Amino acid sequence: MIGYIVKRLLLAVPTLWAVLTIVFVLARVLPGDPAQTILGDQATQEALVAMRHRLGTDKPIAEQYADFLANAVRGRWGDSLVTGKPVLEEVGKVLPYSIDLTVSAIVLGALIGVPLGTWSALHRNAAFDYIARLGSLLGLSFPAFVSAIMLLLAFAIELRWFPVIGAGGSGPWERLRAITLPTVNLGIIMAAYVTRVTRSSMLEVLGEDYIRTARAKGVPSRVILWRHALRNALIPVVTVVGLYLGILIGNSVLTEIVFNRSGLGKLIVSALDQRDYTVLQGMMVVYAFAIVLVNLLTDLTYGFIDPRIKRQ
Amino acid sequence: MSAATEAPLLELDGLVTEFRTGGAWHAALRGVSFALARNETLALVGESGCGKSVTALSIMGLLPPANSRIAAGRIRFAGRDLVGLSEEAMRKLRGNEISMIFQEPMTSLNPVLTVGFQVAESLRYHRGMEGQAARRAALELLDQVKIPAAAQRFDDYPHQFSGGMRQRVMIAMALACRPKLLLADEPTTALDVTIQAQVLALLAELKSAYGMAMIFITHNLGVVASIADRVAVMYAGAIVETAAVDELFARPTHPYTEALLRTIPRVDEDSAGLAAIPGQVPPLSAMPPGCRFAPRCALREAECEATDPALAPLPAAADHRVRCRVRAPATAAPRHA
Amino acid sequence: MTESIAAVPVERPAAAHWLLQLRRAFNANATSWVGLVVFLVIVALALLAPLIAPYDPLDQDIISRLEGPSAAHWFGTDSYGRDTLSRLLWGARLSLVIGSVSILSAMLIGGTIGIVSGYVGGKFDLVVMQAMDVLLSFPSLIMGLMVVAMLGPSMGNLIIAIALTAIAPFARIARAPTIAVKERDYIEACRALGYSDLRIMAVHILPNIMAEILVMGSLWLATAIRTEASLSFIGLGVRPPVATWGGMIREGFENILDSAWLSIFPSLAILLVVFSLNMLGDGLRDAIDPKLRGGE
Repeated sequence: MIGYIVKRLLLAVPTLWAVLTIVFVLARVLPGDPAQTILGDQATQEALVAMRHRLGTDKPIAEQYADFLANAVRGRWGDSLVTGKPVLEEVGKVLPYSIDLTVSAIVLGALIGVPLGTWSALHRNAAFDYIARLGSLLGLSFPAFVSAIMLLLAFAIELRWFPVIGAGGSGPWERLRAITLPTVNLGIIMAAYVTRVTRSSMLEVLGEDYIRTARAKGVPSRVILWRHALRNALIPVVTVVGLYLGILIGNSVLTEIVFNRSGLGKLIVSALDQRDYTVLQGMMVVYAFAIVLVNLLTDLTYGFIDPRIKRQ
Repeated sequence: MSAATEAPLLELDGLVTEFRTGGAWHAALRGVSFALARNETLALVGESGCGKSVTALSIMGLLPPANSRIAAGRIRFAGRDLVGLSEEAMRKLRGNEISMIFQEPMTSLNPVLTVGFQVAESLRYHRGMEGQAARRAALELLDQVKIPAAAQRFDDYPHQFSGGMRQRVMIAMALACRPKLLLADEPTTALDVTIQAQVLALLAELKSAYGMAMIFITHNLGVVASIADRVAVMYAGAIVETAAVDELFARPTHPYTEALLRTIPRVDEDSAGLAAIPGQVPPLSAMPPGCRFAPRCALREAECEATDPALAPLPAAADHRVRCRVRAPATAAPRHA
Repeated sequence: MTESIAAVPVERPAAAHWLLQLRRAFNANATSWVGLVVFLVIVALALLAPLIAPYDPLDQDIISRLEGPSAAHWFGTDSYGRDTLSRLLWGARLSLVIGSVSILSAMLIGGTIGIVSGYVGGKFDLVVMQAMDVLLSFPSLIMGLMVVAMLGPSMGNLIIAIALTAIAPFARIARAPTIAVKERDYIEACRALGYSDLRIMAVHILPNIMAEILVMGSLWLATAIRTEASLSFIGLGVRPPVATWGGMIREGFENILDSAWLSIFPSLAILLVVFSLNMLGDGLRDAIDPKLRGGE
């Protein structure tokens, strides 16, 4: 198992390099002159030169690339043009909120999606299965901000069960109240993905020879479902949860805006509004790391679930 | 002990199993009847699609409930009719009194559970054994099927075993509760020829050691002689010829049996020999009227295509019965349709 | 005895024409029909917007600001007194244009990359597909956000951003069947006859992957429209005062407490388009290849 983890960690390095390179191309090569983008069309020549120097974009592109990679890995993501504080610090301040939200959304999505998909597979083509399939298709058709607005309208504005704005007070009760609607919003969309993939992979597993073997041994059907089928069926579910984590990072930006909750999403939106180029670039690096981390976590989870991978 | 003096362990009587395809029910078994005594081995022989596996799955109650049903007939096992038995009662029989081994050792074991666990599982549910007791018993079983260094391999996963070793694990699993009846569905077909011989020898050895009856399903008449007491040749969902093994080889009567005998593969080429029978088994939804084999039969007469013959005993040997109006015209009243 | 049937090598039935494949898939699946009809109605409404929209989408009417639904304004008015229904109809045009242009470009570019990569094979294929995998690991919205944030919000940049997120999946879809087809005998025969690689790819490989690409296209069109709306909602869409659904919701959201309809109607419109496309594509995908269901 240790060997497997080390191998995966090593394999993450080239992926990180590739992802950071895409970010570099987006941040430095494509826009032409970032200084111009920041200062606008009316900027004076001196101001542009000063800004280029500050950003380091006056250096040759190869040198910029090397600096960019080195600084990205060392966490030197520059200082905010607006607040002057290091981007790393700004990110660190809001990261716990984003992690709270992400983790609770995944837990909720899995708690809803896995049983729903399993039930749906066991009652294939029954009314419930049909409703679950259509419902999950509807669920993953929702842009996250649309569902967020609907939740906000229904439960915060009409029913007044939850606060309309912000992370609320500091007590655990207040924090729970503030995180509930955002979690439900992201969790339901994730549940839609998980339901679908659990259903189809469960259907496939239930048709496998080893399920017939277990039945031929006289194993009770409850045990066949939980011990023989579910663990195998969860392997593709992990893939989808991994893919969804990426979508989740995007959707949480939208969710944070609607519920006015602090987090990486709010940070990036305020940087956009204030044309805070270094924060934007830093956020891209953050997302690049997040993408690589998600891939790594997905691979490691496979190792835990599937013995065929662990021993290779 | 002879089969005549004692009630048979298993008796199929006019079993009709149907599958639903394209909205209509089609019979995959068309009135299969046979009896099996304790300790006896019956070989079910025929090409794929003839209903051998369906017969075994019908006995096990493992047909997919969504698109299959037993439409008529009885399956009497140790004095009980299994047709219509509750799922819970069937579950208590499966792996306990009746066990089954499947054709595909590579896919028949669960990839995420250890081999030892899977062998111990029948003991857990039929014998209530837990923990160390189950482990010891399962280990003993792995030893009996001659898995080398079984104690070290107990906690390995199926993908760490070769095909032959996996089939031994399947056998250990099937024998865990000392069943009265073992259904072996082409247990060696997927294996290399040398491994085939080893697994066959192991099965024969364990069968006599455990005192089981066995239904051995194969499309290869060649392996039948060494393992079976009696043979039933199946074609298109019905038994077309049945006899004691020596009698069948001495006097093959049905044209299909003859064709099968001509195709016995040599040891060095596994299953390709069957290609020599012209034509194919008709699909369930397009069964010819009359004798099902007629379209492929060299002895075909006009009448063959109109009426389906009954399984009739040969005048010379009452225990040798054949379903062919050319080779075995029904002189006496047939016992079963 | 006649010649043995089993001795004759089994001829794989040639794949049906892709239009036929699609028609069969439709007939097997009622959901697809519902999705198609709903989507076509929306397309028709968008095309007819100049004729059927009751008002000019940009006409401000200070007197009737933030009015609820009424006979004069079925879906109410926004904070500039603009008619929501008219803006919705015009916004549909923009969503559909941005979505379809970006997905068509992604299909073309991605499809070409996939076919060429699969056809050429070897190290080239390996490198290209690795690059596609990295691209694929970027979630659509994050990629769109990065690109538009750096290039600035404009219709062209939105199209580039969204197309970029969808290239990799089309490359993957096009590659697998290309490799399978490449090995078939008749392709060898074509080569022996001296047909150019380009001709072989266009004539023999393209029809084989067409149905699958179109089905995937409908699913990715749904994602593209959702991404465009999301970016507009964040403020990275086509600049105001142009009517975009995401932008309408963004503006309506400022008045969510007293004029909820401003957010609700465009929200429902987006949901309807995306849902109809997903119904269309999902049903077809199941019918064309049941094995595909696990993926994505």
